[in-house]
Amino acid sequence: MTEEFTQSKLDRCISCGYCLPACPTYQLTGAEESSPRGRITLMRAVQEDRMPKQNLLAESSFCLGCRACEPVCPAGVEYGVLLEEMREMVWQGKNRPLLVRGLLALVKTRWRVRLIGLFSPTGRRRNANANLHLMLGCFERSLFPKVSRTLHQIAPEVSITRKQGCCGALHAHNGELKLGTEMAEKLGQDLNGTILTTAGGCAVHLTSVLGRDRVREFSEWWTSKSMTLRPIERDGVRLRVGFQDSCHLRNGLGIYKEPRTILKQIGDYIEIPNASGCCGAAGSYAILQKANSRKVIAPKVDAIRGLNLDYIATVNPGCTRQLAKELKRAGIKTKVVHISELISRAIS
Amino acid sequence: MSSLASQLANLIGSENVRDDTISREAYGHDATPLFFGLPEVIVAPRTAEHVSQIVRYAAETGIPVIPRGAGSNLCAATVPLHGGIVMSMVNMNAILEISPSEMLAVVQPGVTNLHLDIEVGKHNLMFVPDPGSRNVSTIGGNAATSAGGLRGLKYGTTKNYVLGLEVVLGTGDIIRTGGRLVKDVAGYDITRLLIGSEGTLGVFTEITVALVPRPESSKYGVAYFETLAAASSAVERIILSGILPSTLEFLDNTCILAVEEFARLGLDKEAGALLLFGDHGDSGYVEHIVEKMAEIVRSVPDCRGVTLAPDVAAAEELLYARRCSLPALARLGTLSILEDISVPRHKMAATVTEIDAIGLKYGLRIGTFGHAGDGNLHPTIVVDKDDKAAVANAEKAMGEIFALALKMGGTITGEHGVGSAKLPYLETRLGHIQMELQRSIKKVFDPHGILNPGRLGS
Repeated sequence: MTEEFTQSKLDRCISCGYCLPACPTYQLTGAEESSPRGRITLMRAVQEDRMPKQNLLAESSFCLGCRACEPVCPAGVEYGVLLEEMREMVWQGKNRPLLVRGLLALVKTRWRVRLIGLFSPTGRRRNANANLHLMLGCFERSLFPKVSRTLHQIAPEVSITRKQGCCGALHAHNGELKLGTEMAEKLGQDLNGTILTTAGGCAVHLTSVLGRDRVREFSEWWTSKSMTLRPIERDGVRLRVGFQDSCHLRNGLGIYKEPRTILKQIGDYIEIPNASGCCGAAGSYAILQKANSRKVIAPKVDAIRGLNLDYIATVNPGCTRQLAKELKRAGIKTKVVHISELISRAIS
Repeated sequence: MSSLASQLANLIGSENVRDDTISREAYGHDATPLFFGLPEVIVAPRTAEHVSQIVRYAAETGIPVIPRGAGSNLCAATVPLHGGIVMSMVNMNAILEISPSEMLAVVQPGVTNLHLDIEVGKHNLMFVPDPGSRNVSTIGGNAATSAGGLRGLKYGTTKNYVLGLEVVLGTGDIIRTGGRLVKDVAGYDITRLLIGSEGTLGVFTEITVALVPRPESSKYGVAYFETLAAASSAVERIILSGILPSTLEFLDNTCILAVEEFARLGLDKEAGALLLFGDHGDSGYVEHIVEKMAEIVRSVPDCRGVTLAPDVAAAEELLYARRCSLPALARLGTLSILEDISVPRHKMAATVTEIDAIGLKYGLRIGTFGHAGDGNLHPTIVVDKDDKAAVANAEKAMGEIFALALKMGGTITGEHGVGSAKLPYLETRLGHIQMELQRSIKKVFDPHGILNPGRLGS
């Protein structure tokens, strides 16, 4: 358990405030304490024993953890790491939301993950390239089994095994830093060679533990194959497609051009205003902070309403779930799918 | 809530008032290192009437009011050193009007500089002041510090672009100064007096700003020199040739090394100075003028080389080298003290040479970058914050740098403001009589001494 913050990471912040406009929670409230700079100020106050760490609880929960503050930070503050440390510091014992405890426990070990995915029609087991393995994910496996089925179809060179657990991203983001690291290491042992993942959040966590060479996010990997795609048309007209970035994928690994390149081949690509901004899913946030999560996505839903899109493609299961749920609630007909599902319709 | 907070909540609504521990901690700082003070309460008014009511209450009770925009200032102008009420203006963030035919905009103080520029850009207009903090800093804050930026030589600073103000005085009275007119000499120029007053004379609740036509294109180049003196003489030659470019920025060798280490842009690490030059206007003009500048720069004996940015991306990279100077330097230590002296342009090279000597004397790393066109220098001292001796030396060095600026016929701050950080040096700059005059002015606007007390003429 983290007792204190990594001092050198706190020292990096020069308090310039460039992060304020990028922060969704600061945009909601206009309150300094709900900005990355403000939260670092609070962390420093705790580090210097001027404030009990209990005081970090509210802001550690309110923060989405989208890391939109990182690319705009001129000083290179690793806010995501500080947030993980903050959550590990304060989300202990009764401070850890019950729901989080449940979710973390549910996917803690390989057999539990396999159990929840037992009846999900995921992509079938296959031995192909021994150095390229598909990661099935934990909740993605049971919520969106179609994604791995699609991969099975469009990426024949990829090996698929069911003997794999959760990467531990969920744990790392929810106050279990050490366990999150161990789980990623375990997955690295279970899956040989390059791990291909269809979840942006997992890609970033795995990279932070296993290194950049071992991990490929799907859209990044697909782009490197440079395979020609055929536009999807309906009545001779290209489908209108939009895209929602995965925050971690964009802000953590800098991957955002690749999916757009793919979608421009497939359809009439429309950039959703503030597509790079968090959709409010943010891992467990949509469940733990329902009201705030809906406030974050509200302007996005309004923007999407006017675009008349056929599809919104995503690169992370949390975003798929959040957008699908909120668009349905708003009565918008646009379908939300993982980008691979559109690709499968654009080949052959 | 404390009784103060609930009284204020009665005035402007509890949703606009908070006094919990974490809010107070967060508003105890701005972007200036080493300064901290806990406020008693934070208010975020939504109307001029709200502001007036709070100020009136504060005047009656003698509680300090510290107006604050984004808190991105670098002179501790918004740190509540005497406690009191921090008044965050960020909720008043509407652009009330853009008038293309009058080339002006009317805004509330919490609008960010960049947001305003983007919005007026839709009408092919430009808001000129472009402080480094433009993506976060507010127009209210810009006006309160008369913020500068990279285009000072050609266009001036915030003070040249504010036409009128609505302002709440220290009594709670609301007045309007200036207006929408280019020409208006009825009475003392109170507008200009309030610009740069750092919240000590009044709280801005509405600002009318002048706009200029948006240039269609821009072009930039970079030149390297053996010495800063050579770069400085290149700047002299450019200006003597009758060219008034929008951009003339420099980095000294310490900055070049830090930026290169940080951003790997392929800068010439052997160079004593880097000069970034450029201009904007219609595309034919900028091509011609930047080529001409390059030619002049090449003719300077100690010039090591000149490159023109072929496209926007390359130009952005060059500008980035300048913009990331501070964070790049900051990475070399855990505490960076950024200064902001301004000297006559022809004294710039001599000033930087003496700054280097001061650094050497105290064993400090000092990188200097700044605006070569207008003589505004940003010597930045980088130390380890836990090294007490180094921090003390940095403070001594700063004092000597201020004295140096004055000796050169310059000033202690060009565009950041005085705040608390430079207040001890203000009287040396202004002299006793003018300092008294400042105090008298303060009393007229704020008879109870509640507006940002302890700063400027307090």
